[in-house]
Amino acid sequence: MSTATNTNATKAIIEYDDKSVRQFMLASIIWGLVGMLVGVLIASQMNFRFMNFDTSFLTFGRLRPLHTNAVIFAFVGNMMFAGIYYSTQRLCKARMASDLLSKIHFWGWQFIIVCAAVTLPLGFTRGQEYAELIWPINIMVALIWVVFAVNFFWTLHKRNEPSLYVALWFYIATIVTIAMLYIVNHLSIPTSFTHSYSIWAGVKGALIQWWYGHNAVAFFLTTPILGIMYYFLPKAVERPVYSYRLSIVHFWSLVFIYIWAGPHHLLNTALPMWLQYLGMFFSLMLWAPSWGGMLNGLLTLRGAWDKLRTDPVVKFFIAAITFYGMSTFEGPLLSIRAVNALSHYSDWTIGHVHSGALGWNGLMAAGLFYWLTPRLYGTKLRSVALANFHFWIALVGILFYVAALWIAGIMQGLMLNAVNPEGTALMYPNFLETVQAIWTPLAFRLVGGTLYFVGMIIMAVNLFLTIRSGKAVNEKREVVLLQRGQKDTMPLKETFINDPIAYMLGGMLLVLGFIFLPAHANLASLVCAGIFAVIAVKKFRQSHHAWSHWYEKLLHNYLPFTVLTFVAVVAGGLIQIIPTVVVSKAQNVEDRVQRPYTPLELAGRDIYVSEGCYNCHSQMIRTMLPDVLRYGDYSRLGESIFDHPFQWGSKRTGPDLARVGARRSASWHFNHMRDPESMSAGSLMPRYPWLFEEKFDQKALPGKIAVLAGMGEPYPPKTSDVIKQEAIEQGIKIVEELKKEGLQTTPDMKIVALTAYLLQLGNYDTPKPKDPEANPAVVPFPLKPGNPDVYRSGVKTAAAP
Amino acid sequence: MDNPSPQNSGEPQLRDHVYDGIQEYDQKLPNWWLFTWYITMVWFVIAWLAYYQFGVGRTDHEAIDQALAAISGESQKASNELTDEKLWSMSLDAKTVEAGKVTFTTFCVACHGADLMSKKTHPEIPTLIGLPLADTEWKYGPNPTQVLGIVRKGSPDLTKGMPPWEPALGIRKSAEVVAYILSHHKQGEATTLAPDSPLLNAGTAAPAPAPITAPNPAPTKP
Repeated sequence: MSTATNTNATKAIIEYDDKSVRQFMLASIIWGLVGMLVGVLIASQMNFRFMNFDTSFLTFGRLRPLHTNAVIFAFVGNMMFAGIYYSTQRLCKARMASDLLSKIHFWGWQFIIVCAAVTLPLGFTRGQEYAELIWPINIMVALIWVVFAVNFFWTLHKRNEPSLYVALWFYIATIVTIAMLYIVNHLSIPTSFTHSYSIWAGVKGALIQWWYGHNAVAFFLTTPILGIMYYFLPKAVERPVYSYRLSIVHFWSLVFIYIWAGPHHLLNTALPMWLQYLGMFFSLMLWAPSWGGMLNGLLTLRGAWDKLRTDPVVKFFIAAITFYGMSTFEGPLLSIRAVNALSHYSDWTIGHVHSGALGWNGLMAAGLFYWLTPRLYGTKLRSVALANFHFWIALVGILFYVAALWIAGIMQGLMLNAVNPEGTALMYPNFLETVQAIWTPLAFRLVGGTLYFVGMIIMAVNLFLTIRSGKAVNEKREVVLLQRGQKDTMPLKETFINDPIAYMLGGMLLVLGFIFLPAHANLASLVCAGIFAVIAVKKFRQSHHAWSHWYEKLLHNYLPFTVLTFVAVVAGGLIQIIPTVVVSKAQNVEDRVQRPYTPLELAGRDIYVSEGCYNCHSQMIRTMLPDVLRYGDYSRLGESIFDHPFQWGSKRTGPDLARVGARRSASWHFNHMRDPESMSAGSLMPRYPWLFEEKFDQKALPGKIAVLAGMGEPYPPKTSDVIKQEAIEQGIKIVEELKKEGLQTTPDMKIVALTAYLLQLGNYDTPKPKDPEANPAVVPFPLKPGNPDVYRSGVKTAAAP
Repeated sequence: MDNPSPQNSGEPQLRDHVYDGIQEYDQKLPNWWLFTWYITMVWFVIAWLAYYQFGVGRTDHEAIDQALAAISGESQKASNELTDEKLWSMSLDAKTVEAGKVTFTTFCVACHGADLMSKKTHPEIPTLIGLPLADTEWKYGPNPTQVLGIVRKGSPDLTKGMPPWEPALGIRKSAEVVAYILSHHKQGEATTLAPDSPLLNAGTAAPAPAPITAPNPAPTKP
């Protein structure tokens, strides 16, 4: 059959859509400059409080989300699209399927970015990291992502190259996984055009947020860039890729394991232990797959190391891959619970993220753009010397940045965790002392970030001059058109029913048995898994040709490949999230349950979220002695069970607030919000004068409470008038309390609502002793996903009377 | 069954398919890389078994509860020794008072003022929301142990007054602060209870008049 088609091979000249590539590239450079400028500004706010300018839309809490979103979705997003559009067309020997979809994709994405840049500084936010954009923008993102997906898969469908190259595998994984993560984590119910409540509360919100947040790093900042590496690096160094089989092993292990690692963002918190352990151990098992990508990149250079001296593109690529290796080593290290006890909430995490973002993403982007621009404009790079200068200033900038935050993070972590030799009191009880101690390293961070930003400007100028010296050209190529039957012929049956898949799934099931089954059954499962693995290896040795052949065939079939990729990425999330989501609230609350907010407190909480307080303050006291001594009794799951969205936080530039209610008075908060330095000399916190001038939104309260009640939270039904009246009555009480200290305000001010919220932080009810029958330990496994924690001897069960 | 084809050792195999000019070798996976991976897997199995099957180590809750119980025992022992007499004598020791002053300056001045008189001497400063400590009027009782109780556990209604300081400062620093406050007073000086003192109420309500030396009211748990 194939010989017949070969004789009638029809050829055609196609013109690649390089215009879209140029557009995405330019957008990436422009947004990159904006995002990094905001980054430099907010870094300066960590050293100089006046850089907040006492202005609402310039405060750290509102600008940090702008920085993270701009760099992730605008800079890396557009860069990724440029790389994907360029390489996919060439790897498919086909023009992008639809020019219209490409246009909608490009302009839609830029419109989303503009919307984000306007709404975030105005305080419109969902209050979850990298998921801050409000719901109308969420819908646009989802729609544009679908447009991108359709355009991409349609191009695969029309391809004239039967087999899928490894770069495309990574693009496929990116598209399906980001769609899944984004949609699930952004499910929310609107209360107005600009505000919504996430449908996930408390621990569910936390678990899903970090399933999303961690894998946004994995599938937005890592897999597409690996795909770009697999196409552009061999092109730049003109060497074959190091190892095809390493590509296979590291691709599938990476996409499968990455998804499990999310809970490592919640170590030592109230999160159930089994999830913490899964997060930690899968992070460690992720180390090798990540390094597989690094090895395949670095070793591709074998035999062409001289290019590292002469070609700036290769310099950028190789440095980027090295940083990828460094941050994927640091990631598992930080996921070890003992290390995390020190590093979590500290600037070490920020440094880690930036060694990935500046080192891996930023340098890959620079290499890509220096390689693309001359080709897209039919000219030569204007100045190799400037590109080399960019390389060195960027490299020095990153090293400054990362080293400074190692010092800052480790120093502050050690100070915060230090207790006296008897272990009875904190060595540095004054939180501010630990913030002031890291002033100098943070200043070096600012210098490093600024150097990197200057490098970006140099690149922009160099590329601008290059573009001016050339003319936009679209590459044309003669391709042999594929006939039907030369690709995409694999039936679904053959996709799923074969030895490799059977062994993989069987092994996985046995490992799940090991994780979830009660004592002894889990051991049996483990032994079976071992035996099964031996059989699988034997079988592979016997018939590895058949297995390779099956995989080669899979590569000729994009839909089955996509389906299998989806199966690999969906597993980890389902296994971790379902047990927590389906469990009834009562089983998640342990011994304490949060009190639902009064209307005024709810209004205050929405202000807390809107001002982005979570960017510096956590609400999660970890089960660690220093945390408990500093902030009070450790947090229980039940204490945030009604929080839409959860506000556990990930960074402590200020102290934890989970129990601040019982520690500070109304007048303290009032003074502190007006001028933090009046209550805490040397504080870095911005002033919030507008909270004393603006009224909180009373009208929205009944609608908001109705939405929360609709989601099952225990808000008693009340009329709108009663709700508004209760809010004002509680406000009057606080105003009177303040008056005793000579402080004047009115009960409808934002500061009053925020104070009401802060005053109740840490309140909880103790639920009545549970019916022993309701103990989850007695629920048989098949009916309810197992919770391994109940199998451990010594784990406390229902509270004793 | 296929015959395993002999690989040319040494020479890496180039795959025959070329993608847009890109070729691929098919090198073997590096052994050190594979073993690193295997070790992380084995570690997962061992650690999981140790924790869940054999109950090795404490759970987080056990560990923290034990640490807190130990601290509370220590603190109880220390506070038993900290009698009124002992605190008064500490207030005469220059070194202790100096140490207390350092702590006071860091944590207490924002609300109580550098002269310990709060709004009484500086009514124009709105941030002085604490009670004056250098006069002879006391809200929660004048005895050194009563003052120490407030420093340790906070005021009875935590949302309106002072936070508990013992968890962060520890018992020793708390006692030093009290010594510093007492250094502004004389043992045996005449004292009064503030008009809004809860002890005053308790005194009139309770049949037995023994409020002044009564133990501190336990802080209301939120």
